[in-house]
Amino acid sequence: MRILLTEDDGAIGGAVRDHLAADGHAVDWAKSVSRARDYVAVASYDLVLLDLNLPDGSGITLLREIRKRPDALPVIILTAMDQITDRIEGLNAGADDYLVKPFDLGELLARIHAVARRSKARPTPAVTIGKVEINSSERIVKRGASRVELTAREWAVLDCLADRKGSIVSRGQIEDALYEFGAEIESNAVEVYVSRLRKKLGAGLIKTTRGVGYRLG
Amino acid sequence: MTLPTGMTRQLILLLTAATFIFWLLAVAVGASVMRSEFDEVFDSALKETSARLLPLLVEDLFKRDPGDAPRRIGFAGTDGDEYLTYQLRDSGGRVLLHSHSAEPVPFDVPLAPGFADTATHRVYTDAAVSGTLFLQVADPLDHRREAVAESVASLFLPLALLIPASVLAIWLLVRRTLAPLEELRSEIGVRDGTNLSPLNAGRLPPELGSIALSVDRLLERLRVALDAEREFAANSAHELRTPIAGALAQTQRLIHELPDGAGKRRARDVEKALSGLSHLAEKLLQMARADSGIGPADKDADLVPIVSLIVKDFQRAANKDRIHLTLPNSPLRRRVDVDAFGIALRNLIENAVKHGAGGKLMEVCAREDGTISVLNAGPVVPATELANLTRRFKRGPTAALGSGLGLAIASTLIERMGGRLELASPAAGRTDGFEARIILPPDAKR
Repeated sequence: MRILLTEDDGAIGGAVRDHLAADGHAVDWAKSVSRARDYVAVASYDLVLLDLNLPDGSGITLLREIRKRPDALPVIILTAMDQITDRIEGLNAGADDYLVKPFDLGELLARIHAVARRSKARPTPAVTIGKVEINSSERIVKRGASRVELTAREWAVLDCLADRKGSIVSRGQIEDALYEFGAEIESNAVEVYVSRLRKKLGAGLIKTTRGVGYRLG
Repeated sequence: MTLPTGMTRQLILLLTAATFIFWLLAVAVGASVMRSEFDEVFDSALKETSARLLPLLVEDLFKRDPGDAPRRIGFAGTDGDEYLTYQLRDSGGRVLLHSHSAEPVPFDVPLAPGFADTATHRVYTDAAVSGTLFLQVADPLDHRREAVAESVASLFLPLALLIPASVLAIWLLVRRTLAPLEELRSEIGVRDGTNLSPLNAGRLPPELGSIALSVDRLLERLRVALDAEREFAANSAHELRTPIAGALAQTQRLIHELPDGAGKRRARDVEKALSGLSHLAEKLLQMARADSGIGPADKDADLVPIVSLIVKDFQRAANKDRIHLTLPNSPLRRRVDVDAFGIALRNLIENAVKHGAGGKLMEVCAREDGTISVLNAGPVVPATELANLTRRFKRGPTAALGSGLGLAIASTLIERMGGRLELASPAAGRTDGFEARIILPPDAKR
């Protein structure tokens, strides 16, 4: 997933970015409302992690702006403001979830997967295609009865395809999910990861529509 | 009409007593003056009577035979008691003539012109015929005393009316005079942590206006101090939570990045210590917020969605089926600060999760009467321990980790909301477990 992290604290932001990247997500880290606003305007995100107290304003303002957009971009508030009234204000402004600092990074990942699943109208975390069962939130993929180990990048590509199961996903969309701003994009990276996934999960799992993109199932 | 109390009662008693005492003093002085004046009048009458009587009696005496016994002279047409009695005596003291009420025995006073007193009479002696005859006219002292006593008694009669009238007048006057004071008292009485607005000093008399101004200045200082305290506690929570969250997140990353071994174990110890620090800081700041007076509010709030939101948080963190939630069908509106209520309820549920028997069902039940109970399974807590659980840093007989502040925070906050926290073990309807009940009466802090 391509995730926008809005957080002005270096220690929290760094740890969250690294943890999400290790889980295979592309993370753009904005340290102010204005920078986050710029990112949201130019990139297509799957999810936004939003701090409320930012140096140049409140995250709630940005959340309200995001909610005016036609797409239902999921937003999880990450804040040190723990009062019920803060939480109600955040949820009323349109946040999908609200996590109070300090939080467990594992709990954060679980919430991210749950919110992303909800926003894509996938009621269960598991997707089954033929003999392959993909559980994105648990990071478990099985081919028949045997478990298959995937790298973070392979997971990112598989997640991107699984989110749009049965639909064609362009190479550019997969690249967006793989690379944050500033990352060096290898020209044939998508082809390489798709090829590795076919090798691990079966050649028929991902179909190529020449000149358009890839499709799962 | 209610009996006056306090200052009114004291003023009525003191002013009435003062009126009574001044009246008594006035009567005493009046009695003394009256007695002296009466003596003058009576003495003058005695002297005049003597002067008029003496020539008549001397003339009468000379017409008599000298060997006669003392003669008793009656008044024509009168046979009753007479105030004045007299004796005409010779220089040897023998009674020659006497009035009809006088005894023939001589008055016990010397035969010298002027006034003299016996035990019962005031006697005036006048001399005639070159000091050979003496007329003594006596006036009974009882007569004079009776005159003074009757006059003084008449002065006491108005007191019977004066005392109740003065009590009523003073009461009405004091009530009217003290009405602004009562108004000021009730104005100050409605001020509390949620209402520190200035007093309405415009209608007060100048004497009380200055008190109201001083109280207003004090209220303003109190409001500023309370706001600063609340803001400090709230901001401290935020400012402390951020660096702790940073350290914890970095430590968790370190745990993921380190290979298994001593380094990873040490990083886990750091994570545990940071979690403990975070929890303790949280509790201390909650305690500070509770002490700074959060709890009451100036408007109603429905507590049902708050209970639901908090319980769902715990359901998400624990096994969802482990916490059973029962909510009323109608809103549960109370005039309480929802943040304070949230902190109190969160502490009670945390306590139940931490100390409840592992894996057993926990219940949170909000009822329409304003009772919110949190119930968990587990061993019975002895009654002697129960009473101490709401004391700060006091922990029950448990091996579970905790600061010993959760129930103290909940208890302080609930008390500030105008409610009460009840602890019971075993829980209601069970033979084991622990139950904490928040009871918020409908008129809490209204």
